[in-house]
Amino acid sequence: MSPISVRRTLPNAWREVWLFFWRDVLIARTYRTAFLLESVEALFGAAMLYYVARFVDSPSLERALPQAGGYFAFSLVGFIFLDYLSVSLDSFDRSLQEARDSGTLEHLLVTQTSLPVLVAGSAIYPFVVTTVRIAIYIVWGVAFFHFPLYAANWLGVFAMLAATLLAFCGLGIFSASYLLLFKRGNPGKWFFLSISSVTGGMLFPVSILPDWLQFVAHLNPVSYALDGMRTALLGGAGFSALLHPLGVLLAFAAVLLPSSVFVFAWALKRTKMNGTLTHS
Amino acid sequence: MPETLICVEQLQKFFPPARSGWRAFLQPFERATSVALAGISLEVRDGEAVALLGTNGAGKSTLLKILATLVLPTSGKASVAGHDTVEDSRAVRRQLGYHAGTDHGFYPRLTGRQNLLFFGRLNRLSQTAASKRIVSLAQRFHLEDSLDRQVRTLSTGTMQRLSLARAVLHEPCVLLLDEPTRSLDAIAAAGFRRYLKNEILRRGNTSLLFASHTLSEVEMLANRVAIIEKGRLLACDTPAALKRYTSSDTMDEVFLRITGRANPGGAHGDSAADSESASS
Repeated sequence: MSPISVRRTLPNAWREVWLFFWRDVLIARTYRTAFLLESVEALFGAAMLYYVARFVDSPSLERALPQAGGYFAFSLVGFIFLDYLSVSLDSFDRSLQEARDSGTLEHLLVTQTSLPVLVAGSAIYPFVVTTVRIAIYIVWGVAFFHFPLYAANWLGVFAMLAATLLAFCGLGIFSASYLLLFKRGNPGKWFFLSISSVTGGMLFPVSILPDWLQFVAHLNPVSYALDGMRTALLGGAGFSALLHPLGVLLAFAAVLLPSSVFVFAWALKRTKMNGTLTHS
Repeated sequence: MPETLICVEQLQKFFPPARSGWRAFLQPFERATSVALAGISLEVRDGEAVALLGTNGAGKSTLLKILATLVLPTSGKASVAGHDTVEDSRAVRRQLGYHAGTDHGFYPRLTGRQNLLFFGRLNRLSQTAASKRIVSLAQRFHLEDSLDRQVRTLSTGTMQRLSLARAVLHEPCVLLLDEPTRSLDAIAAAGFRRYLKNEILRRGNTSLLFASHTLSEVEMLANRVAIIEKGRLLACDTPAALKRYTSSDTMDEVFLRITGRANPGGAHGDSAADSESASS
């Protein structure tokens, strides 16, 4: 029995999200070596960070880092998190662009699928793949480079991942709206990623930044997401320590998600008005 | 009295002028001044086939896209099975089968069967029903050998047949077809016309609105022919009545006379380029 028929009983929206996911699985299966190559790439990525950490680690640096595991653990979490942030920002507009360029967008929009399902369904596979890739990074880190997982609060990790996903999806949907309207990549996305590479705390703690950049970091959801993730994964902190970053991320999500869906619907309407749905 | 399935009242559509360079950023917000439809009114009754005939740029595809909920009208009303295409677009899409003339809109790395199954399922067909229907349509459209090949390996004509199969897959009550037999060889085109006439139209519960430049196709399939020029409906009647009114022997002559391209001497003069596309 195929996975499609196994889920026949799911409500329509979930069933359709599953159909989109399964479509992408089938497409990915035609690139047979991609998974293997990505796994090898993850191994080399983890190795690079490990040797950079061996080069820079010192007792004073370890004291400056908020959690256990030294600079390797700190930078690996930051590095894989950047991957997650990129996919959150990219997956919506990339799937939209692919649908537009292949001509499937028109045909998707004349099916009975609703707009939110179409948007969510097209993005779910990249999120799943990135989550798997992150897991592979961590597995390599644990297996070969002593990545410290002994203290991890897994429930906290998953809660942080879910909140991060919700908060960043809104940014991704904004980016897709921009693409729909202007037919080009979003410069706002590039700016946000650039700002986040400095103020997000990916490769160094936010505390070493000058005051004004620390202020910017406090406005950036990436810094909360990374702080919470490191606290749960490396520091093994309980939920009480995660309440602050979780609350901030959920507040970002509560604002960004509905407003981005609203803007996307408006951009789609505008595109239909102008007759430029299939233009690239 | 048969029910009206498609109703178009005083439909107008203006598009903003096309821009390039930095001005493209203003294009989504520019005033729509370029006329595509200039107040068209048309009805298609239950079980009826109506052909849209006109030169390139006459507004045929725009009308079909408005009915398919892909383009929003500037003013006027369009409804399908009693549902407004703007206010109730989801209900409209439940009734529709749509075939775009300009692209095929498939996932190139999926097989024909996987593509059809995906779109059929999005149109609320069950896995079993979709699979059975795909097999039956594959026989009808001579797609048996191509069904399990990746779409990227198929010829243009085969993709066109696949696209037509998708349009009728969920047995919609309204079919909107934009140049359905373009890119088909003579045998496949004749086969598809026979299928439309004998299996779709003869059943009497499906309405067909199609745009075509093939006049033999128009005469074979259409109960009525709507002649459109520069966004205006010039005439709409049965092929026999149109021939009678214009004292013409062929639809070619009807078209040239109604659009004012035939000169009294019988020679078509500078209309040749236009009439070329309108001739079979």
